[in-house]
Amino acid sequence: MLQILIYGAVSSAIYAMLAVGFTLIFGVARILNLAHGSFYALGAYAAYVLTSLLKIPLFLAAPLAVLLVAGFGVVMERFLVRPLRQSQLAVLMITLAVSLAVEQALFLIFGSEYRNVPSFVAEKLSIGGVDISGQRLLALVAGVLVLLTLWLFIQRTRLGAAILAVSQDPEAAQYMGIPTNRIFSIVIAISAGTAALAGVLVSPFLTVQPTMGLLPMVKAFAIVIVGGLGSIPGSIIASLILGYSETIVAYLISTSWTELVSLVAVVITLMIRPSGILGRRAAF
Amino acid sequence: MTDLLEVNGVTKRFGGLTAVKNATFTLKKGEFTGILGPNGAGKTTLFNILTGFMQPTTGTIHFNGELVRELAPYKIVNRGMARTFQLTRPFVGMNLLENVLVACMSPRASNDKDKEERASYLLAQVGLGGRDKEPVETLPYGDLRRLEIARALATRPDLLLLDEPFAGLGSGEIEQLAQLIRRLHREQNLTILLIEHKLREFMALVSRVIAMNFGEIIAVGPPEEIVKNEKVIEAYIGKTEDAHASA
Amino acid sequence: MRRISLIDIAGAIVLVAILALAPMFVSSNYLTGVLTVCAVYGIWASSWDFMSGLTGRENFGHSLFIGAGAYTAGFLATIWSTNPWLSLPTAVGVAIAFSLLVGFPTLRLRGPYFALAMLSASAILQRLCLIFWEYTGGEEGLYGLDPLIKSPLHYYWFVLAVLVVTVIVLTLLAQSHWGLLLRAIRGDEATCQAAGINVTFYKIASLMISAGFAGLGGALYAHYQLQVSPPLFSVVVSITVIIMVYVGGIGSIYGAAVAAILLTLLTEMLRGFGEYRLWIYTLTLMLILFFLPNGLIAPLWRRLTERLR
Ligand SMILES: Nc1ncnc2c1ncn2[C@@H]1O[C@H](COP(=O)(O)OP(=O)(O)OP(=O)(O)O)[C@@H](O)[C@H]1O
Ligand SMILES: [Mg+2]
Repeated sequence: MLQILIYGAVSSAIYAMLAVGFTLIFGVARILNLAHGSFYALGAYAAYVLTSLLKIPLFLAAPLAVLLVAGFGVVMERFLVRPLRQSQLAVLMITLAVSLAVEQALFLIFGSEYRNVPSFVAEKLSIGGVDISGQRLLALVAGVLVLLTLWLFIQRTRLGAAILAVSQDPEAAQYMGIPTNRIFSIVIAISAGTAALAGVLVSPFLTVQPTMGLLPMVKAFAIVIVGGLGSIPGSIIASLILGYSETIVAYLISTSWTELVSLVAVVITLMIRPSGILGRRAAF
Repeated sequence: MTDLLEVNGVTKRFGGLTAVKNATFTLKKGEFTGILGPNGAGKTTLFNILTGFMQPTTGTIHFNGELVRELAPYKIVNRGMARTFQLTRPFVGMNLLENVLVACMSPRASNDKDKEERASYLLAQVGLGGRDKEPVETLPYGDLRRLEIARALATRPDLLLLDEPFAGLGSGEIEQLAQLIRRLHREQNLTILLIEHKLREFMALVSRVIAMNFGEIIAVGPPEEIVKNEKVIEAYIGKTEDAHASA
Repeated sequence: MRRISLIDIAGAIVLVAILALAPMFVSSNYLTGVLTVCAVYGIWASSWDFMSGLTGRENFGHSLFIGAGAYTAGFLATIWSTNPWLSLPTAVGVAIAFSLLVGFPTLRLRGPYFALAMLSASAILQRLCLIFWEYTGGEEGLYGLDPLIKSPLHYYWFVLAVLVVTVIVLTLLAQSHWGLLLRAIRGDEATCQAAGINVTFYKIASLMISAGFAGLGGALYAHYQLQVSPPLFSVVVSITVIIMVYVGGIGSIYGAAVAAILLTLLTEMLRGFGEYRLWIYTLTLMLILFFLPNGLIAPLWRRLTERLR
């Protein structure tokens, strides 16, 4: 029982880190970013390069990896997505092209074999008789901290208020003198950074390989549908639902069935409540 | 005469705002009724509820004796209730004929065998004859209104709901459009419900007025009485400047 | 929509003649094989364009229907070993069944939901293929399908004929009142409702048609490769198809088919670049997105033949 509780919390935290960024950039800039999974994969690979190849200590490599990917996100939004924002299909296509390019680049540079990233914490801990690696626990703690910080940032700072304003009504925000384009850059940086951090944190205990971004993208999408596209609290609730249901399914049936959980969740949500748990709009 | 439309206790709330409050009225077959009310009175919301584009918070709507609440909008159209939009919404990238053709494909119009001919005829009927191949993008406002009416007529309605057809038109255009609507009412025995927020346009057109303010129906009666109704005058005096400005 | 004129028909006949006769001049099984794949992609691209190009609901999971069709052929051949010709109609049926399954929950919705839901559905089906490897052969897939027609050249002609029929049927549909409704749905769903049109019905029906042809193409591909494997469901297949339609000019159908043929040939020519091939592809896509927002083939053909109409 306790095992489910802890492992479910770890999965939920990682999903939430992925989903929050995905929903944030959609809510604020109306960009449906199909390259979101690339941020996650790039985070993991950056950590691998910095630690294993450049021999930089991990506590330095991790923030560096996050910053690099955030920068990548900003450049992508500014030069590839922004010029095409008028057409929804073009945005989908260009972000998809980026994700394909990233996947191919990783494949060409690193090959398709699995890479290893060292753990931050090597110790195994025991909580109430349940063994859990320190790294997983760290992922959980870091995830909760990141989400809390993000929430405080959006609720308590001027910049956060500006982001909220843009997400509610971009035109009005522009009239009020909020520089929407700058806001987009900041939001994509946050979005890419949190996804990359998730990638860095899971890389020691999951497989690092070029296609690792696709499935988390699909999961993030499922979470965002269930939680309501554009709603951050919704995506956190949905992350918990999905994280725990997957852990329970893995525990009761088999790990290979977990992929079905998100599918079922999406289908049920779309049929019962198309706008998601906390979605604002009836349907787009 | 029998009741074509029966609206009973219809209320619509948006969060804290009650846009339509307990609306109850009936329309008889062949009647020409106007809905009068200042901006934001809830007229369009009422139309949206009648035509199924919105669900009422409470209340029932019977059309031809059938409960139509919760039917999809296209189903209500195929029961014989057609509408136009306050902001005209043509299909861009299509010509006038194609715009009307779409509605000629509705199940209710399935008896019209030659769809093109029918669409062309309808365009001529609303005064857009001979312009079938023109693109809609360059159409002036008044003609867009006519196009909307042609599209609504294509579904062979029993009841036609017109949402502010005169808004934004010059007085000459208004007179022409009013003539067209009057003719449709007379020649095809159409039941018409027409929204307008200027009293003047109503006088010569409708036989009965439903006056709304802040979501509530405040008076029902022939236009001559409505002009003298105190509640209506009050609702409009608060808005005198408005009324003058827009008149 | 533009009516078909004589010059269009003439152009189509010339193109089909060139495609049909090409293997007779350069007689090589390799070329015949490549051309067969070209024709299959033509079927996939034009079927995508019919639904997504006309209604504006971009389907990012076309590979779902392609894979469903191909695997149907695979199952029929390897497990039930039925008459191979039976696999074509069955594949169409299965693909249509899948379109109903995914279409009903997703197509009622507007905007990006549909694109993403289809993308996820195809990704998940690919996973399912791996999860149930006992039945699907896992990564390896299913082997040992029978060819429909022994001679590769004759099979190529058959597939080409299917492509021609597909394009003709879809073009006629697109130019009919049906196509008009689909374009109206693309424009404004509320106005369609006000015009008494059952929007959901037309969207689902057009997805069914699109899926049916995609599944047919999938089965034809399976009987050409004589095997099926999970990458058929992959996002890359869907994207390749969408890129083809984009290059062809969205909503033109014939443009999608021609672009599919040209891009498949181009991909073959790039084989020398090995692993860089997909990169070049992606780069081409980016360039087209930025510089040719209306696509290449259909606008070019219209420009060329403007005088002759
Ligand atoms: N979808 C909606 N969500 C929230 N509030 C709405 C919505 N639609 C209308 N309202 C509100 O309901 C009230 C009535 O609006 P409605 O459009 O029905 O007025 P109207 O009588 O048609 O006015 P006008 O003459 O300007 O067309 C207004 O206060 C409006 O802001
Ligand atoms: Mg109104």
